[in-house]
Amino acid sequence: MKILIVEDEPDLSSAIKDYLTSEGNLCETAFTYDAAYQKISLYSYDCILLDLMLPDGDGLKLLKHLKSLQKTEGVVIISARNALDDRIVGLNLGADDYLIKPFHLSELNARIAAIIRRKNNQHSNVLNFNEIGIDLNAKTVTVNWHEVHFTRKEYDLLLYFIYNKSKAISKSAAAEHLWGDDADMADSFDFIYTHIKNIRKKLSDAGAKDYFHSVYGVGYRFSDV
Amino acid sequence: MNLFAKYNRILLLALVTGLLAVGILFYQALNYTLNGKIEENLHEELTEVKDYTHVKNIVPAPSEDLNLVIEYSPAKTISNKKTIGDTTFYNPRKRQTEYARYLKADVEINGKPTHVLIFNSKDAQTRRVQLIFWAIIIPVIILCGLLALLNRYLLLKLWLPFHQILNQIKGFNIKRGNYQAINTDINEFKQLNDAVRQMTVQIEDDFKEIKLFTENASHEMMTPIAIINSKLDTLLQSKTLAENDSQALLDLYKATTRLSKINQSLLLLVKIDHNLLGEKEELNPAELIKQKIDNFQELISQRNIQVHCDFDGTTISGNKYQFDILLNNLFSNAIRHNKPGGEIHISVKNGLLNFENTGNADALSESQIFERFYKDPQSDGVGLGLAILKQICIKQGYSLRYYFRLPMHGFELQLAH
Repeated sequence: MKILIVEDEPDLSSAIKDYLTSEGNLCETAFTYDAAYQKISLYSYDCILLDLMLPDGDGLKLLKHLKSLQKTEGVVIISARNALDDRIVGLNLGADDYLIKPFHLSELNARIAAIIRRKNNQHSNVLNFNEIGIDLNAKTVTVNWHEVHFTRKEYDLLLYFIYNKSKAISKSAAAEHLWGDDADMADSFDFIYTHIKNIRKKLSDAGAKDYFHSVYGVGYRFSDV
Repeated sequence: MNLFAKYNRILLLALVTGLLAVGILFYQALNYTLNGKIEENLHEELTEVKDYTHVKNIVPAPSEDLNLVIEYSPAKTISNKKTIGDTTFYNPRKRQTEYARYLKADVEINGKPTHVLIFNSKDAQTRRVQLIFWAIIIPVIILCGLLALLNRYLLLKLWLPFHQILNQIKGFNIKRGNYQAINTDINEFKQLNDAVRQMTVQIEDDFKEIKLFTENASHEMMTPIAIINSKLDTLLQSKTLAENDSQALLDLYKATTRLSKINQSLLLLVKIDHNLLGEKEELNPAELIKQKIDNFQELISQRNIQVHCDFDGTTISGNKYQFDILLNNLFSNAIRHNKPGGEIHISVKNGLLNFENTGNADALSESQIFERFYKDPQSDGVGLGLAILKQICIKQGYSLRYYFRLPMHGFELQLAH
């Protein structure tokens, strides 16, 4: 997938680029409004990450420009501004998602993956990982074509790990994904452990392999090896 | 004691003292004058007696004046001494005892020395003195009373601007500002008015500046926190971390999450302050609370906490986003400070939301818990949850009260009237 990262902070931009590139994406970066404007005008992308506060312009104007070109890129706004107005304006202008800084790279990646899938697969939308299948429309999980019952949170968590397969995901990122702002509760890390334990059990009971690997006690990796 | 009372008390004291002094002086002077008149009368009578005896050698017939009585009594010698004084005597002509002024002198009648005692009743005179006295004193008292009333009215009217200013200072709210200048042509109050207005403007400016600073500082911090967060995520992908590095990584994650939480809370406070969180709509608290219980299910069951609910169909008008944060904070608080196997009681009745939880056996200090960054030493929160709760209540017009009824800590919110 081809992704454009419009972010003026070089450190953040490079971290995002590294993470997304390692997922097999092709990333380009733009640090200024002008550079982004040119790239958007000249090239096509699958997804654009858009910071709203650029040194030489407002990211929302770029969004307007993009839509005026009749382009179909998915757009994720990444902003430090957690203003309801910005969010509403951004989504009304055709952005697909709105992520507030600071965010976890795994969260960003999951959101991008979800947008791209939605754009590319209009009808059936099943995400497969070996013997595990996830129907994104029906929100169901199958193992070897047999449905396994998952609670909403277990489903969310499994999908999050599959979107970020082969990546180490910290418990804090997983907790934030499930509980959002309430993730600061001290024992939310323990619940991640409990949820993962339950998911593992359900999957193995249904005959799937165990793909969860603990990473230094900090998080988990969902991978084949 | 207020200013009027103090002023009136001094004024009244001075008036009464002055009135008493003047009254006494006046009475004495009046008495003195009338006494002089009586004495003149007595002397005249004595001269008459003397003349009469001198010529006719008998005592004169009693005078026709009912107030005048002359008594004679034999004396041994004749002295030239005359005595004048006050006394009471029995007036045989009026058949009553009266106050009188008397003159005692000696005369020779038929060659015999005789004491002559002339009484002049003061009865009529006393009546006259009293009449004159009251005729003057009563109007003076009335006048004084009127003056005092006028004074009171004037003072109230003159001090009106002062009270207006005072009331505004009392009702001054830094978040609403708007001190209204008052109209007065009295210089002192004009100055006071100007001084207070300047002060309030200054306070409002400072307050705005602090808020702006908090907002900007929090915003500026978001980007560095985002960088730290993303670099940690990158670091976690490394396959060469040592075991003790991972512990450091975990701690860093926790610290960053906390930092970002503090920052978000501060920004949230600013936003609530600025009314940036959207419009009011009709809400059903019972529905929203049930959703929250679902959301917090793991946290609740992990600690074996029992949740008891008691709802009526109350609907309220409020901002959904703010109400959501409010419930989040109430739940986090009730779960965080609960004990394993504890209870949470939630009731919504007649617009009154009661949120109670078991916890420590000691009551908390109501004045402190709503302060920013105040928290229980054992708590792992950032100490902003209840401050946000209070801020939302102020903005949404809910009254908020903390209470402790063993063993429950409770918050009572008046959501609707």
